[in-house]
Amino acid sequence: MAADCCYEVSQIAYVKLVLHALKHPSSAVNGLLLGRLRQDGSTATVEVADAVPLSHAQIGLLPALEIALIQIEEHFEAEGLSVVGYYHANERHNDLELGNAAKKIGDHIFRFFPRAAVLLLDNNKLQKLKTGKGRDPAVQLYTRDSSRSWRQTGSDGSNQLTLKEPAANIVLFDYISSEKWQQIVDFDDHLDDISKDWLNPGLFD
Amino acid sequence: MVGAEEAARLDRLEIQVENGGGGAWEYLCLVHKLKPRRSDKVLKHGLAILNDPKARSNLGGEEWTLYEQVAFAAFDCQQHNVAKVFSLSLPLPLHMCDCVAVLSKEFPGSLRVGRLEGMLLEAENSWAEAEKVYARLLEDNPLDQIIYKRKVAIAKAQGDLKVAVDFLNKYLEIFMSDHDAWRELAEIYVSLQMYKQAAFCYEELLLSQPTVSLYHLAYAEASSLQLWFLLTAFIEQVLYTMGGLENLLTAKKYYASATTLSGGKNTRALYGICLCSAAISQLTKGRSKEEKESSDLPSLAAEALLRDYKYRAPKKLPLLNSMLKNMKLSS
Repeated sequence: MAADCCYEVSQIAYVKLVLHALKHPSSAVNGLLLGRLRQDGSTATVEVADAVPLSHAQIGLLPALEIALIQIEEHFEAEGLSVVGYYHANERHNDLELGNAAKKIGDHIFRFFPRAAVLLLDNNKLQKLKTGKGRDPAVQLYTRDSSRSWRQTGSDGSNQLTLKEPAANIVLFDYISSEKWQQIVDFDDHLDDISKDWLNPGLFD
Repeated sequence: MVGAEEAARLDRLEIQVENGGGGAWEYLCLVHKLKPRRSDKVLKHGLAILNDPKARSNLGGEEWTLYEQVAFAAFDCQQHNVAKVFSLSLPLPLHMCDCVAVLSKEFPGSLRVGRLEGMLLEAENSWAEAEKVYARLLEDNPLDQIIYKRKVAIAKAQGDLKVAVDFLNKYLEIFMSDHDAWRELAEIYVSLQMYKQAAFCYEELLLSQPTVSLYHLAYAEASSLQLWFLLTAFIEQVLYTMGGLENLLTAKKYYASATTLSGGKNTRALYGICLCSAAISQLTKGRSKEEKESSDLPSLAAEALLRDYKYRAPKKLPLLNSMLKNMKLSS
């Protein structure tokens, strides 16, 4: 089903997820991807328009995932967006395996959106991007194939996953050098202090 | 765990030092005492002091502790912080080795420096070499807790979680009152989705420190996590297992005790009570009235949440309201 589907990640979503991972370098982080499905004739494109960082705690990765899903879905419904995927960054620097917890959350989202995307942060790609002026996103894309397992799609050379804005990596590096990651708020932070907003309004102003 | 007042003082000092207002040594001592993980700041300001001969000699005997602290910070930065590659232009490995070299010269044959040498090897990913160093140190110091923990860290860093669990269990047989170790073990169990075992660890913590609300919360979460996965996996065949209901009831009890311990201020615990109650009513639909939920607790928790959001997060109040309405916890 996902074989003829493209995934286009917006700058906002991409930058948020990388910044979230950078803010918590010694633990795993995860979050939800919001977007919509666009059908142009026979090609389907999943537009990932935004991301909401969920958690960074090491005590499981599901502090009130249920609550986050309910509130996030409701908020974004008004903008015509729904949950289209999930992102995850592993605890260890060079761990490129999609863990069980990530797969299970992915399964849950798949139930409501069969073209669900799971993005796994790739630290090696992220480091390489510093030297070149890469246009590839520093994430791996996983989708569910017909055998009900999560398969990595489009590694080097395939065009299933693209960044919507070509300058996204350049913008990302600007934010990294200015240590923008310190300002990012996730749902976990909100639960610790509800005055913190997981929508991160004004983050990119 | 750091108290709120001390955390605030730490943050204030950090801002002061970052903006050139001095107080670096005071900041470093506070970090050393409270042990938050601020390695990039420690590295930056610690190195600044160490590289300034006058500031260094002012420290007197404390100089060596600073070397050690900076070494730890350097290991941490090099190992984990990808961002370091972008923002710091100092050649880190050089400084890491420098610190350890200076200390081994001053304190030859010391266990404490020996551990640092092991950690330096770890930071360079030379796992086998590091294990050799620790094995040698353990021979002369068989009851050194830190070295045992380094072995666990090595296993974890290589992704050998089952081995890490093994080591930790052996460690806890000897040092059974080490709370940090129980917490670490619990967290590893959770990441392996072994929730029963994680709950057991939290039980140990609850027994020895019954007033720490964090443990109540964690126990509640571990109890309800397995059920969540089961429910979402078999959503078409609704699972009405007694085991499921029991876990939810247990979880609710511990969310309630966490609420009591935190004076009703813990958002996670309040949400936990609401979620558990909603799930329990789902599971007990159609059962006799006596078996159903009869306390005021869920609606009180809902009210407390609504009040808090009204004052501190008014923009999110509509979302909370509609969620609680759907759970039938508010009208």
